[in-house]
Amino acid sequence: MSVWNYVVTAHKPTNVTHSCVGNFTAPQELNLIVAKCTRIEIHLLTPQGLQPMLDVPIYGRIATLELFRSHGEAQDFLFIATERYKFCVLQWDAETSELITRAMGDVSDRIGRPTDNGQIGIIDPDCRLIGLHLYDGLFKVIPFDNKGQLKEAFNIRLEELQVLDIKFLYGCSKPTIVVLYQDNKDARHVKTYEVALKDKDFVEGPWTQNNLDNGADLLIPVPPPLCGVLIIGEETIVYCSANAFKAIPIRPSITKAYGRVDADGSRYLLGDHAGLLHLLVITHEKEKVTGLKIELLGETSIASTISYLDNAVVYIGSSYGDSQLIKLNLQPDAKGSYVEVLERYVNLGPIVDFCIFDLERQGQGQVVTCSGAYKDGSLRIVRNGIGINEQASVELQGIKGMWSLRSSTDDPFDTFLVVSFISETRILAMNLEDELEETEIEGFCSQAQTLFCHDAIYNQLVQVTSSSVRLVSSTTREMRYEWNAPQGYSLNVATANATQVLLATGGGHLVYLEIGDGTLTEVKHAQLEYEISCLDINPIGDNPNYSQLAAVGMWTDISVRIFSLPDLNLITKENLGGEIIPRSVLLCAFEGISYLLCALGDGHLLNFLLNMSTGELTDRKKVSLGTQPITLRTFSSKNTTHVFAASDRPTVIYSSNKKLLYSNVNLKEVSHMCPFNSAAFPDSLAIAKEGELTIGTIDDIQKLHIRSIPLGEHARRICHQEQSRTFAICSLKNQSNAEESEMHFIRLLDDQTFDFISTYPLDTFEYGCSILSCSFSDDTNVYYCVGTAYVLPEENEPTKGRILVFIVEDGKLQLIVEKETKGAVYSLNAFNGKLLAAINQKIQLYKWMLRDDGTRELQSECGHHGHILALYVQTRGDFIVVGDLMKSFSLLIYKHEEGAIEERARDYNANWMSAVEILDDDIYLGAENNFNLFTVRKNSEGATDEERGRLEVVGEYHLGEFVNRFRHGSLVMRLPDSDVGQIPTVIFGTVNGVIGVIASLPHEQYVFLEKLQTNLRRVIKGVGGLNHEQWRSFNNEKKTVDAKNFLDGDLIESFLDLNRIRMDEISKAMSVSVEELCKRVEELTRLH
Amino acid sequence: MEEALSNSNQTAPSPSFLANLPSRGLFSSTVLSSNLDGTRDYLCVHDTSPPANQLIKTNQQNILIRSLTLGKQKGDPITKDAKGVAAADKKRAAERGLDSRAPSKRASSQSTSRQDGSNSRAPEKDFYSLTVDRLRVLLKEKGLSPKGKKDELIARLKSVNDQV
Repeated sequence: MSVWNYVVTAHKPTNVTHSCVGNFTAPQELNLIVAKCTRIEIHLLTPQGLQPMLDVPIYGRIATLELFRSHGEAQDFLFIATERYKFCVLQWDAETSELITRAMGDVSDRIGRPTDNGQIGIIDPDCRLIGLHLYDGLFKVIPFDNKGQLKEAFNIRLEELQVLDIKFLYGCSKPTIVVLYQDNKDARHVKTYEVALKDKDFVEGPWTQNNLDNGADLLIPVPPPLCGVLIIGEETIVYCSANAFKAIPIRPSITKAYGRVDADGSRYLLGDHAGLLHLLVITHEKEKVTGLKIELLGETSIASTISYLDNAVVYIGSSYGDSQLIKLNLQPDAKGSYVEVLERYVNLGPIVDFCIFDLERQGQGQVVTCSGAYKDGSLRIVRNGIGINEQASVELQGIKGMWSLRSSTDDPFDTFLVVSFISETRILAMNLEDELEETEIEGFCSQAQTLFCHDAIYNQLVQVTSSSVRLVSSTTREMRYEWNAPQGYSLNVATANATQVLLATGGGHLVYLEIGDGTLTEVKHAQLEYEISCLDINPIGDNPNYSQLAAVGMWTDISVRIFSLPDLNLITKENLGGEIIPRSVLLCAFEGISYLLCALGDGHLLNFLLNMSTGELTDRKKVSLGTQPITLRTFSSKNTTHVFAASDRPTVIYSSNKKLLYSNVNLKEVSHMCPFNSAAFPDSLAIAKEGELTIGTIDDIQKLHIRSIPLGEHARRICHQEQSRTFAICSLKNQSNAEESEMHFIRLLDDQTFDFISTYPLDTFEYGCSILSCSFSDDTNVYYCVGTAYVLPEENEPTKGRILVFIVEDGKLQLIVEKETKGAVYSLNAFNGKLLAAINQKIQLYKWMLRDDGTRELQSECGHHGHILALYVQTRGDFIVVGDLMKSFSLLIYKHEEGAIEERARDYNANWMSAVEILDDDIYLGAENNFNLFTVRKNSEGATDEERGRLEVVGEYHLGEFVNRFRHGSLVMRLPDSDVGQIPTVIFGTVNGVIGVIASLPHEQYVFLEKLQTNLRRVIKGVGGLNHEQWRSFNNEKKTVDAKNFLDGDLIESFLDLNRIRMDEISKAMSVSVEELCKRVEELTRLH
Repeated sequence: MEEALSNSNQTAPSPSFLANLPSRGLFSSTVLSSNLDGTRDYLCVHDTSPPANQLIKTNQQNILIRSLTLGKQKGDPITKDAKGVAAADKKRAAERGLDSRAPSKRASSQSTSRQDGSNSRAPEKDFYSLTVDRLRVLLKEKGLSPKGKKDELIARLKSVNDQV
């Protein structure tokens, strides 16, 4: 890989952090607005459900999101503040469907300590000011003037340093905040302040409340007429106002989110850390609060935000599981739950770990993520491919072939579906009720297997069986002509188009017939030296009904030949090499270029450029699509031709920018496919799978398909082992009954069914920290190695851990070796046939030793000290790259002769690492806890030791995502002949559920795209006036510097969504044609 | 909570707490279906810079200096209150970091001033922050019995206050 990197999102963030409901897009329209960290989604509430409107990228991590109604306005405005201290106020312009910036600004202060408990942004219910708590001890006020315009902001000193929550109180003549804070004795209190806008200071508020629940963490302001505030603790809930105080005890729980149900504030939904949803009711007599009541409603995903929508439907936004749309039923179900889940919205976050496995060795990985947390933990299988939307299916065993036929030559739709079996042929057709029903075409031979069918001119149908070729009227369905195979010969292979039929019989005879009105004429016969395995006369020339070329695949000499028609002269012979016979040949044309595709019996596909006039085959390329024989068929989707390759790995072949591309179809084995464009199922495909016939439409683009495997526990590490076809995970389960009883496990899962097949429980307080599948020198077995830590409540850092070595035998985890360590084993790597472990501040190398009694042991060989905590380790050859808790990278080398590990170089910046990866010998990629990415380079040519000992920072970029893991691999099929195949990529997974790709580009391409990015910044603006350049600048507590050697692929790829005028603008500025720009950007989109 | 659930299982009277949930006629269809494929990625090509006067900046003036100048602007006859606040501010600033008990001190001095000023505006729940002795004094002032536990004393005081 290289220093010139391109970062692009393959799967957008799905972690829902905020949500709110209001009239944003029109005064009468009710909207749900959902924030997913760096994006907001605007939905419309309709009688039919949620209707998504827009997905808006925000150049910042959203810290607060609020809707508010300014004075005299008919609809709400949206206030967004970002973690990097920018804020904006957005208004929806219904006429242009644009988000207009009403105001924006920078609310950072030069001095000030950022708050520990996150930023708070609140808006006065009477819209007099916006309050922000961003730094300890400061409260920032952005006042509104009486026209609803914002004025200069100012800070007020807030005496309380450890603030837990601040809210505005309703119904106060002066804007009044209520502050929940913790004092230096860890007691929690609530205090109120009036904001004196003129004096720019606080005035003591109407009341205070001391010594609350020690777990009090959340304030809910109650609207008029009741007013006051609810203080949500872990054991009590308190209602407080100037003249009332009510408290109720609750079952211990940590409330994570609340949603107001009634406009008068008498009912609230509370979601807790275990995903339990409660209803809190304020009972009142007129305006006097008489008490509180709490009712358990049921279970949802662990909520991070709750928005009551309408008519008992509630949106539950989650960071730890799928977000949900739920309905609150008046009556409980059998389990006593009032909650009914209507819909789930997939959330991959937090991706704690993932692995990539490539069973087909096509270079395309399937990503398996450890997603979600606590009870909502799951594994997610993420795979790129083309989806099939199943519309109908029937059970049918033993399908040998399928063809669709029209009832007349000029009918735009297909009527019949001919399904051939080993000794019969059945015909299905759409009946009047639009159902697929068995029917008959009287003229067809139904007692034999059909070899081929096709529509023919003059309202005829052609059926080829092993004994004859029949011509049948498509209107009367009666046979008009039959051509019988010569005595003693049976037809083996056949193909046809509207006017031609080509047949092969035993003994290498090739027979060419032409179709007339009620007659078949044998035009030519040729004798070949070997048996024929496959044929094709798909017309790709000027005449759509007549082909001038025939492709023939041969047994014995393993060749493919091109014959001219009608005279059957051999034009070209191409030996395929190898011993695998061609099973399917296809003449096809994509974007005006003619190809010959030839599929072999072992799942390989050859493609050639075909010269239509000379029949010459050039530019041979070979790709592997699967392991089983492939059957090729063309189909058209959106008026372009595609080829479907049916096999154990069904693939769609298409062309873009005059290059052939291959996409996986998201289906298991497919034996046959034929297009079936009926009136009821337009543009559909009929697909024969194992024992099933399915009719469905095909997606026009490939996208990520996600399958969920709910675990009910939190998976933290995952690893795949090819030899045993298993996954191993480290997971933890929270026991719901007893307090603080976490149980940690090593679990073995089948890599197809994802069932738990074996479990090894860890000790009490023992956490699984790392997992690895590896083998050792002088031992052919493959093992799972697990590193653990004993996390004792009284210790700051673990001082004890274990390395466990397991072998998979009969689907069971067998413990082979156990080695105690003096700390947490944060990382394990296979290293020169040995095991390299990162244990607290040390890197330790273990040898795999055979004892005299035949048992094995791990023997310490050497180590290296000098880290704070060595958390992430990657190796390449003898080099070891260590990502430290807070000391960035260091590069170590293992010296074989001395049996020692030494430090070579380090990065002297103080970066708190979250993931590292080696890009190539000299370039290392790191992610750190301020959501940045950076690359460092080994400086082996340095003049002095000092220079050589320094890793030079070469690339910096603000990703805005917390990366937990990098892995080499690709989400798309990377076939050796494609350009994309040459670009090495790394995949990353983040806390927000983002799966992204980092691609190392050639320098020329990088420079070109950098120029494009600069030009795009001028055209594509940041929503709310936020600046792209600032957003992508590397930023931590110490410095902010412009991004370098990283490009924002999301911005670059949005070029394709621009309208033509904007594209022209950019094209002019770059002096490159729009077509060229599109082509180059489209190539990049194929990286993910 | 469990009780409520089990009850409803037996007799299934519709619990009142989920009755009359707000509705404006949305989500009324029997089959709710949201088609998430319809989402459009927003591409922003219009000028997003805010209106001229709506690029908000923060007043850079030091908070302490600001409060002093504000005091001055109010004219020479500085009100006692303002002076007090300013002085307190100054004191707070000086004490910050040194004396972490300052807030509690302030609170106690406030409560004493409230007692002195016989300000009956004191909210009821403030009674909880008063000592039992202090409550008894208040009860005696109002001619009530000073006997019983703290909760009882408070209840007694409250009942009087409510009547007032």
